[in-house]
Amino acid sequence: MRHLFLLHRFNLGLLLVLANAALVLFLAAGDLKPVDELAWTDIIGEGGTAALALAWIVLVLRSRPSGRVTHLLVAGLGCLFFSWWVDTLDEFIQLPDTILWDHWLESIPMPIGMLLLTLGIYHWHREQLIISAQMAKREKLFRDYRLFDKVTPLGGADYLRQQLDIALQQARQQQQPLSLLMLDLTDFSAINRRYGFAEGDQVLQAVTQLLLLNLRRHDLLFRLAGDRFVALLPGTGERQAHALGQDLKAAVDHFAYHTQQQGERLQLCATCAVVMATQDNSESLLQRLNLALARARQPPYAHSA
Amino acid sequence: MTLHRIWYENDTRCIAAHFQPAALLDLALARDVDMHRVLRGTTLFVDDILQHRIRIAPAQFLQLIDNTQRLLASDDTAFLLGQRLLPGHYGAVSDALRHADHLQQALDLLIRYRAILSPLLAPRLLVDDHHAYLYWIDSCGNREQQRFVVEATMTAVHALCRWQSGEKLPWSFHFRHAQPRHIEQYWVHLGNDIHFAQQVDLMKIPREYLVRAWPQAASLAGTIARQDSEQQRQTQGWSSSFLDRLFAHLLRHIREPLSLERVAQDFAMSPATLKRTLKKHHTGFQEQLDLVRKHVALYLLHIKGFNNEEAATYLHFHDSTNFRRSFKRWTGFAPSELRQHLSTPI
Repeated sequence: MRHLFLLHRFNLGLLLVLANAALVLFLAAGDLKPVDELAWTDIIGEGGTAALALAWIVLVLRSRPSGRVTHLLVAGLGCLFFSWWVDTLDEFIQLPDTILWDHWLESIPMPIGMLLLTLGIYHWHREQLIISAQMAKREKLFRDYRLFDKVTPLGGADYLRQQLDIALQQARQQQQPLSLLMLDLTDFSAINRRYGFAEGDQVLQAVTQLLLLNLRRHDLLFRLAGDRFVALLPGTGERQAHALGQDLKAAVDHFAYHTQQQGERLQLCATCAVVMATQDNSESLLQRLNLALARARQPPYAHSA
Repeated sequence: MTLHRIWYENDTRCIAAHFQPAALLDLALARDVDMHRVLRGTTLFVDDILQHRIRIAPAQFLQLIDNTQRLLASDDTAFLLGQRLLPGHYGAVSDALRHADHLQQALDLLIRYRAILSPLLAPRLLVDDHHAYLYWIDSCGNREQQRFVVEATMTAVHALCRWQSGEKLPWSFHFRHAQPRHIEQYWVHLGNDIHFAQQVDLMKIPREYLVRAWPQAASLAGTIARQDSEQQRQTQGWSSSFLDRLFAHLLRHIREPLSLERVAQDFAMSPATLKRTLKKHHTGFQEQLDLVRKHVALYLLHIKGFNNEEAATYLHFHDSTNFRRSFKRWTGFAPSELRQHLSTPI
């Protein structure tokens, strides 16, 4: 919070000075209303709106890096706040009828603020298009930040279930095949034990980037749990999915990961399994995929046993 | 007969804060959670844990678990914690685990030093002709946190075995709770042999794995570490919890008439104190007695292969009808239903 005020001290300081100036101006020109003349519903309505505008400014500043879009949004919201602030002052201080500037103070910042806010939101939209392009292969159609895991960052198991339900329905309607791919790192727990859990998280992040690079545009990648990833492959038959899985496995096997501390080369290894959706719902499909992975993990000689 | 009062209760400050609680805090720190919010409601401060080697009560640890779980809001918290718990950094007992010759020895250590290694959940081992069963008893009245504690503890044992033996041991996991939504965490951290809505929280493994040599075994270092462990236990002063003690006591005397009054006398306390102590752990005498009788009945029917009449006689029921009725009350199933319901023993 303190960091926030330091970073935006100019914006917030200007707002504070202007709000104070308005207060001083009102007090100099008019008189305080007696308590029994105050219209409390108006005060709560207008004062509350002003307070909310201030809250929006803080939220915008806290959630966005500084830059043009942020400045536009804050300037717009600042104007709105100022206008509502003057409106609120009006309720407490009675100005003589000869004074007109209080109406200007109230009504001029409002359209300017709306204009700035609109401009800000428009540029925000442009910015979001670019960010969405970067989120390709990780997010589709809808967003819920609670479903994103904090380590990689990919969608987690719940996001996978939701996307899978949608994809299964689409595949059925469009008569398209749909495949799922599961990839699991071999002996990942040993990396955690030997190099620490922070290093393990780094490995997961690196592998996430690697897998994203090797997937196609319309595929989606999730982290199911721990070191197990799932890719949703729309319009893909089992054979093609299998080939893709082999590519992903080869990419992980040949990946030269170096530890953060000593730069030591870690040999990663992955197991991959693929299933194609038939009559499944999302839960049974995931279960089938999990069993396929368990089979793929067994060494070849175990199959004959 | 009286028992010495060397057990801990859920408000005894018996868990070293820099053992399991520190592992939990580390997990929260790694995810950028505000320490003060994690400690809220525990009457603990960050400095307590960092600077002084203080001990905290099980109830405080459970509160800490509750806070962490809510703040991290992530399904894998228990499993990630579990991976850090064993052998852990708990002094000589951790060294002894690290040098264990084989699974049997590791489990013996885990059970003997459970007050240090697993203070919230007491392990018990049972071996029949084919399998070893490691089952777990709630030590401190864990209530809502029981599932978290069970997930973490079983993950800890599984991860310990994997690390020390150098291979993935074929554990089969049985949980009392119903299948949760985050089943994928169980797949990834425990494997595919997982059963929910079971009668007992239990891990099962083919018996031959008990004595297979572990590569990290070091007999001399192990012997010394075991001697030091014994000393560590004596310094600590507690070897098991009150509920754990009570379970063992009831189990030992299960074929005798057991009443609140008699057990209170055995524990050298008044019936009112016993009642109060049980209430503090969110349970009652009848509930504990039924828990033990359920365990004995399951053992007799599924491991010893008794029929209903034999089990009824063993537990001093007048007839098998009475036994069947009680069994249904304990487990929710008639003995015959449970036999069909379970493909595997217990």
